[in-house]
Amino acid sequence: MDAIVVDRLSYRYQAVGREILKNISFKVAPGEIVALVGLSGCGKSTLCMCLGGIIPHYLGGMLDGQVLINGKDTKEYRVARLALEVGLVFQDPDTQLFAPTVEDEIAFAPENLCLPVEEVATRVDNVLDTLGITSLRKTNPNHLSGGQKHLVAMGAVLALEPSILVLDELIAQLDPAGKRIINEILVDLRRRGKTILIVEHDPEAVSIADRMLVLEEGRLIKDGETATVLEWWESMLRHKYGCKSWTISGHAAGPE
Amino acid sequence: MAYIDIENVSFCYPGQSRFVLRDINLRIYKEGVTAVTGANGSGKTTFSKLLIGLLKPVKGRIQLNGKLLSSLTLAQIGRQIGYVFQNPDKQLFCETVEEEIAFGVRNLGLPPERVTQKVREVMDYFELSRYAQAYPLSLSAGEKRRLALAAVFALEPGLLLLDEPTTGLDPYRKQLLGDYLDKLVAANRGVVVISHDQKFIDRYATRLLRLEDGQFIEE
Repeated sequence: MDAIVVDRLSYRYQAVGREILKNISFKVAPGEIVALVGLSGCGKSTLCMCLGGIIPHYLGGMLDGQVLINGKDTKEYRVARLALEVGLVFQDPDTQLFAPTVEDEIAFAPENLCLPVEEVATRVDNVLDTLGITSLRKTNPNHLSGGQKHLVAMGAVLALEPSILVLDELIAQLDPAGKRIINEILVDLRRRGKTILIVEHDPEAVSIADRMLVLEEGRLIKDGETATVLEWWESMLRHKYGCKSWTISGHAAGPE
Repeated sequence: MAYIDIENVSFCYPGQSRFVLRDINLRIYKEGVTAVTGANGSGKTTFSKLLIGLLKPVKGRIQLNGKLLSSLTLAQIGRQIGYVFQNPDKQLFCETVEEEIAFGVRNLGLPPERVTQKVREVMDYFELSRYAQAYPLSLSAGEKRRLALAAVFALEPGLLLLDEPTTGLDPYRKQLLGDYLDKLVAANRGVVVISHDQKFIDRYATRLLRLEDGQFIEE
C-alpha cells in the first residue's frame, strides 16, 4: 500500500477565493524521501496541511479530490488519529510549541497516547539525544533561538514515531551542525522504512530525496528522480526567472 | 567613523546566569554587507536586538552615529536602523499589504504622492503588487518575508539589520533580495545579515563575523 496517495486534489481557502491547489495527483511509497519545491506562494505549505488533515478539518475551505494516508481518507479521520501516522513539522515552530519546558513539549504526545511512563521517558531521552539538544531539556521553548525551536518541534513529532513525516522548511534555519543531524536522521528513518516529504528551497537539502516534485501556481508540473528534476528546475529558474547559478548549485559565483 | 560602536558589551537574560554575549568590542560601518554567523543559540538574534535597543546591555555601551543608544528612543533608533525580524509575523499588523508598507513611510512625514510612489516601487520590486489588497497574515511564509523586507526597505534607513532574511525565500526571490542589497551598498548604505545561508553569504558578504562562546571572531 502507498504511504501517501493524493488523487485529483484541488483546494481553495474560501469558496470564492483563488484556487491554491489545482488537480494534483501523486503517490509516495513507504520508505521514500520526496522533496517538494516551487516558488513562494505556489501551494507547498497548503499541500502539507492537506496531508496532515489540518485541511479540511481545521481550515475548512473547498477541497476536491482525495488524500489517503496509509490508506485512510483524511476527510474521514480526525486529525488526532491521522497524527499517529503522519507527523507535521510546520514552517513556523512558534505555531506548535506550547509546553513550559522542552522535555514536556516532547513528552506531550506520547503521554497523550497513554504510553507507559518508562516508555515516554525513553522516547524523550532518545529524541533529545538524537537531536543533540539534551542540554535544553529544562529550558522554556519560548526562550530558545529560532533554529533550536525548529529542532524541538522536530523532536515533538519524532517522539510520536509516525510512519510518515512532513517537514516544511525545517532545514533552512539550522546551523551546519543542525543540518547534518537532520540529514542523518532522515536517512536513518528511510532505512527503517519511514516515508518523508520535505519542502525546501536549498538544493543541498533536497539532494537526499529519492524523488522530487515541482509545484507551480498550484499545479504539479514535474515528478521524477531527484537529479533529473533538480537539473530541470535549475534550468527553469535560470531561463524563466533569470537566476544566476550561485543560487542553486555549484560554487558561488563572484560579483559580475 | 563607525556607525555603531560597541564597547565592552555583555548580556545575559534576566534570571539566567549564563552570559549570552561577553565583553563585545565591535565597530559596524555604514558600508558593505556584514554577515553574522554562528551556531543555533549562539546569540545572533540577541545581539541584533541589542543593536536596535529592544534589549539593553547588562554591561558596556553602544553608540549609534556618535550618540549613546540608551539616550535614544526606539523611534529615533528605528529611523537609523531598519530591522527585519526572523519571524515576519512579529512585525506585520496592517489590514492590507499596501497599508503595511505605507504605514512606516507615511510616518516619516513624506508627502502623499511620495508615499504612493515609494510603496509602488518596493511592491513592484518584490513582486507583491498582485497582493496589494490582501491581508498580510494570509500570505505564504515566503510572501510575508518579502513584505516585511519591503516595508523596511521603503524607509531607506542608513543601516539594515536583517535576521535570517533568506528563510522562506525561493531561489529566484533570494536573488531579488541579494540584488537589492547590492544596490543599497552602491548607494552607501550598510547591511548586517544574520544567516545560515552559506551560499548567500559567500556571494554577498563583504565582512564575516562569527559568534562563538559569546564573542565575535572576525574571519
